[in-house]
Amino acid sequence: MTQASTIEAESGTAPEPVTSRGEAPGTVVIDTVTKRYGDSTAVDGLSLTIEAGEFISLLGPSGCGKTTTLRMIAGFEEPDAGDIRVSGRSLLGVPPYRRDVNTVFQAYALFPHMSVAENVAYGLQQKRTPKSEIRDRVVDALDLAQMRGFADRKPTQLSGGQQQRVALARALVNRPSVLLLDEPLGALDRQLREEMQLELKLLQSRLGITFVFVTHDQGEALSMSDRIAIMRSGRIEQLADADTVYARPASAYVAAFVGQQNFFRGAVAERGAAVDSAHALVRGASPALQEGTAGLAAVRPEFVSIDADASADASGAVNTARGTLIGVSHLGETMQYLVRLGDDQSLIARRPSPEAPQLAVGDAVVCSWRAESVLLFPADDAASAGGYVAPPTA
Amino acid sequence: MRRRLPGFLLAAPAWAWLTIFFVAPVAMVVWFSFGYKPSIFATQATDKLSFDRYAEVFSPTFFATFQNTLWVGVAGTVLCFLIGLPVAYWMAVKAPPSRRGLLIALVMVPFWTNFLVRTIGWQVILSPEGWISTALQTVGFEPLAILNTRGAVLLGVVYNYLPLMILPLFVAFDRVNGPLREASKDLGAGKWTTFFRITLPLAQPGIVAGVLLVFIPLMGDYITATVLGGAKGNMVGQLVASQFQTAQNWALGSAMAVVLIFVILLTVAIGAGIVWLVTLPIRASHRLVIGAPAAAPASVSIREEVAA
Repeated sequence: MTQASTIEAESGTAPEPVTSRGEAPGTVVIDTVTKRYGDSTAVDGLSLTIEAGEFISLLGPSGCGKTTTLRMIAGFEEPDAGDIRVSGRSLLGVPPYRRDVNTVFQAYALFPHMSVAENVAYGLQQKRTPKSEIRDRVVDALDLAQMRGFADRKPTQLSGGQQQRVALARALVNRPSVLLLDEPLGALDRQLREEMQLELKLLQSRLGITFVFVTHDQGEALSMSDRIAIMRSGRIEQLADADTVYARPASAYVAAFVGQQNFFRGAVAERGAAVDSAHALVRGASPALQEGTAGLAAVRPEFVSIDADASADASGAVNTARGTLIGVSHLGETMQYLVRLGDDQSLIARRPSPEAPQLAVGDAVVCSWRAESVLLFPADDAASAGGYVAPPTA
Repeated sequence: MRRRLPGFLLAAPAWAWLTIFFVAPVAMVVWFSFGYKPSIFATQATDKLSFDRYAEVFSPTFFATFQNTLWVGVAGTVLCFLIGLPVAYWMAVKAPPSRRGLLIALVMVPFWTNFLVRTIGWQVILSPEGWISTALQTVGFEPLAILNTRGAVLLGVVYNYLPLMILPLFVAFDRVNGPLREASKDLGAGKWTTFFRITLPLAQPGIVAGVLLVFIPLMGDYITATVLGGAKGNMVGQLVASQFQTAQNWALGSAMAVVLIFVILLTVAIGAGIVWLVTLPIRASHRLVIGAPAAAPASVSIREEVAA
């Protein structure tokens, strides 16, 4: 194993003389923060408490305010209202270079005229760290990021993934209480991204530093975070761990953004327990809606089973939809089926590959699901019309 | 498969242009400089080659003029740099992005008027009867006596050449703006450190371009110096021109031109050397060379674990 003595030694126990309000070092408190740009409100009265040592993801589409929130913690933007505290100390008016946080930038922002080692040493040089100590800590940080062998190269001689590691080492070498990551994996190819996700998570639990991770990739958020804050128009729509966000989304917006969903829109029926859509009567396990309003029912593709339609009878039972298979794709562990229910609606079903039924494009199929897997929400035009419904394409 | 055209063909027109209008004339000038003026009716002859014209160039009169040219060239370039740098930085970093187009246009405005006319304009303004002088006299000052001094020459030089310094510097600063400067501050560096360790080193190509764009034409310019400096404004360019036009001694004119080229090259080299030497200790203090790992630690330790 690689040794990371100088980074692990003091992280988490970083010298913090004043710890007011009982907030432990590494705690980030965002207290009703608002940030406006001209007429548009990027962050709208946001409150969020991030525990020390927590890995939290800010998840949302572009323009939801997640990057603005991160930049306010880093100090590149000042909030118009509200307070931001790190380790119990308000950061209002504190310039970025006096904050005990470091950032891994989206495009890495490595200094092209310095070597990898000099990039990593830059932060320590600002703190007037003795030369011999700088050297040791730089070597340790590079070991940690597995970039020791590249220490004397220029950033332009590195691949994207290697630059990413250097950016990480350059931030971590300063032993910040909080590390901010602004979509750091966005530029990497898929395999490398998944590798880095795993490494980041391991690194974070080993160092115990608070990680605030901004991403629009729900897979990234789900795989790494202790908690996920799903953001929408400058507010938090839901704040919970990955299991809860996935299984019990607080709104149709969250349901649509995290994982894929099949949405059925229609009038609420059966005393609030079902949505009567054009192509199926979708019933949930228990009443959740107001009779007489418009509702949205959501079913994840993995809960939908699919079979050849044997009966000529077109009348649909509850939680059943009939249609034509228009696409089959192999996703590795699962097979994905795209079924056309009507001109305006298609349905996605996913079955594990070993037990996937043999169906051909053009077959008449019947899809069904259990009431327990149905989520019911009040109709939310912004969520479902905004393109967050599972796209009707294979 | 279609055969690709070799890439150098793209540059062929430029090469041809440079060869015909730059390399050939310079070669001719060098050739003429070894010749002599055979009679009062001929401009040059090269049947006997010698270094005699160069000996003539290094007479005390010419030496004084060279000195003056070098002084105006170096002082003018340094002034343009010192004045242009903050302006370009402000335009690229501090000014609101929506106003940048307007600011660049404002920098360019003087170029819309003829170079000579602009310089003569300054002569009018700075003359003892000009409005500045009159205004000063009404407040009780002496008449303005700046015209025909080096001060006036420098003023004209800065006015005429400043845009050539500002534009490349602006482009360079604009390129460095953004994440790199934010990263520097994120890592604990204040404004000045960020400027001297990130912004300025990365703007180096723009600085080099600006300095050369000002210094080289300035060394050959004699209009600004003559119009505003009078007798104090003797420049080598003027001497070269008078040898070609008035004295009809192309051989001597050519030798002066060649010496001027070498003085420019030498000055640029010395200037670069001075900057390199001055920044050497600063760069050395920030250098960090780690070197190869002592022994590949990861792979060795794994093997040892397996063996144990």
